Amino acid sequence: MAVVQINNVYKAYHDTEVEVKAINGVTLSFEKGDFAVVVGPSGSGKTTLLNLIGGLDQPTGGEILVAGHRLSELRPSELIDFRMEHVGFVFQSYNLIPVLTAAENVSFIMNLQKWPKEKRKVRTDELLSSVGLSDRHNSRPSQLSGGQQQRVAVARALATHPEFILADEPTANLDSKSAESLLDIMEKLNHEEQMTFIFSTHDIRVMKRAHRVITLEDGKVISDELSF
Amino acid sequence: MTDSQLAWKNLWRNRKRTVITAASIFFAVFFALLMRSFQLGAYDRMFRNIIESYTGYLQIQHRDYFDEPIIDNSFELTPRVTEKIYSDPNVNTLVPRLESFALAADESRTQGVMVLGIDPEGEEKVTGLKSKLVKYKLTPESIAALKRSSIPDRTKKLLDVFLNESYSSEGRLMLDLNISQDDSADILPVLRRSASFRNEYLDINETDGALIGNGLSDYLKAEIGDTIVLVGQGYHGTSAAGKFVVRGIVRLPAPDIDNIIVYLPITGAQELFAAPSMVTSAVLKLVNNDDENVLQTGNNISKQLEQPLAIRTWHEMNALLINQLEADNRSGMIMIGILYLVIAFGVFGTVLMMIAERKREFGMLVSIGMRKRKLAKIVSLEMVLIGILGLAAGVVASLPFVFYGNSHPIRFTGEMGRMYSDYGFEPVMPTLLPDTYYLSQIVVVLIILLVAILFCVRKIFRINVINALRA
Repeated sequence: MAVVQINNVYKAYHDTEVEVKAINGVTLSFEKGDFAVVVGPSGSGKTTLLNLIGGLDQPTGGEILVAGHRLSELRPSELIDFRMEHVGFVFQSYNLIPVLTAAENVSFIMNLQKWPKEKRKVRTDELLSSVGLSDRHNSRPSQLSGGQQQRVAVARALATHPEFILADEPTANLDSKSAESLLDIMEKLNHEEQMTFIFSTHDIRVMKRAHRVITLEDGKVISDELSF
Repeated sequence: MTDSQLAWKNLWRNRKRTVITAASIFFAVFFALLMRSFQLGAYDRMFRNIIESYTGYLQIQHRDYFDEPIIDNSFELTPRVTEKIYSDPNVNTLVPRLESFALAADESRTQGVMVLGIDPEGEEKVTGLKSKLVKYKLTPESIAALKRSSIPDRTKKLLDVFLNESYSSEGRLMLDLNISQDDSADILPVLRRSASFRNEYLDINETDGALIGNGLSDYLKAEIGDTIVLVGQGYHGTSAAGKFVVRGIVRLPAPDIDNIIVYLPITGAQELFAAPSMVTSAVLKLVNNDDENVLQTGNNISKQLEQPLAIRTWHEMNALLINQLEADNRSGMIMIGILYLVIAFGVFGTVLMMIAERKREFGMLVSIGMRKRKLAKIVSLEMVLIGILGLAAGVVASLPFVFYGNSHPIRFTGEMGRMYSDYGFEPVMPTLLPDTYYLSQIVVVLIILLVAILFCVRKIFRINVINALRA
């Protein structure tokens, strides 16, 4: 069964008198264990597509089903809960909470979900260890490099066992070594835990690692290729 | 991690901003409390001075006397009435007065005067009249003697300026002659020797004795031992005429009273106006003077009084002064309002900066699953913590100053000091001890905070996650 099913989705903006179709009739599905990238030139609709899949935005046409939820039927507060339970986000600029330590950032969503303290601790240790930061539990984001912060962000995204991870340009602010290291970790998690990753990127290094490359142009899918 | 822990951590992410915001609240609260404390302390002192030196907190009068203060509206202070009044445990002393008007004449001059028949000992207890007797007078002879003495030259130079001036207190004399507290021990004994004024107080049994105001004494040129004649209208149209010997001269704070006042023993006044046993008012000295007790006592006594008697509170008797002080009070409130307005803008500036600075973070938090309600709660907690820090610090810091200012009031010198002394008040400005005005300042700050919080909460609920993530 598809983790994400996108059926003939449209997203139009009316910022000016001209209607801009950011997503123009996209139909796609993502299966469990996908390691897919969405590529395309700037303005092609990559980020908009990820926002729609993540329930951050609503389509103007078509439907998106995630883990059995028809996103257009969810109220705003239900969408927030949906995101907390089913989607992990990794942002381009890490977006960690600056006043919390690495461990506190990772356990933040577990905290929102009211996990017991002991269970949170075990899961946090496990995740920080899996992203190679078991020695940086108590470091604040400002004490970590960009690569390390992005690994904490990945650990945070994985914390509550989401259905999939949405990563919007996750390597854009990283040097080559950090980017490779981050991709190693994501690839490992994809292999070992069958975690579904959906990236949007311009980064050729990410594209090379992806198992599936979806190319968008003017809001339309112009190719959807497997690349093992 | 609890919401409050997260709020506390967020508070210190921008330490300078938090400190500046809390400090602005602190200074506003601190200065507003001190300003109010001094202003209300001055009012309190002024009211007490006037009440305790003239009207008293409560008076019993004929019900028509308040609107038409003539001797025909007097009443008989019977033992039955006195007993009823004393039955209230808050009544300490009851002092009868008989007040009317007459013409006073000395050898060559005549003056319309206010005649106040008093119980000398009772009046002393209630208004401290004895302390207003002139104690020093700078006559040409006393000035000449002082110039020959060893007092400092700067004091000698001032003596001529105050020729023929009378003083009922050493404080005013020291102010006029520029005598410091340090020099007072050396100079005052010299002044006592050279400028003391021989004066007597009234004796209830000596019905022909009189005390006159210093201004009246100057006008009539009536000295101690002189006889003055009072002529007027007595009770129910009878004629009133009598001779009285000046036993003492008093210096009263209000010049318009000082220029016309004649005190007689009440028996002498009753005899003069042919109104035996009659009084125009009975002034009550109370055990407990706070507003609640004054009103309570007034109500209790009022219930027991029979027609035509009525009780008057100090509020009714000093309505004009209360209105004047109300107007002054409003100007103080406007000043404090401006102070708080500045602070409100400061707090709003901080809120706006904080929201702009953390917009992306708010977007991230909502996108990963934090409900806006929870986010609003955390940010509100941050605002509350900043507010409470500033507020608590302001309140705590003001307390030592307010308590010290109450026990060690600011003492005025120079013109301001003279003005206070002229009105018979000690030239000091004390603070008012913490009272409901503290609560009102706290409420004002909390309202400013509440508005800032509501503004912030509204912003959070209107966050567009996608726009916020792009910020």
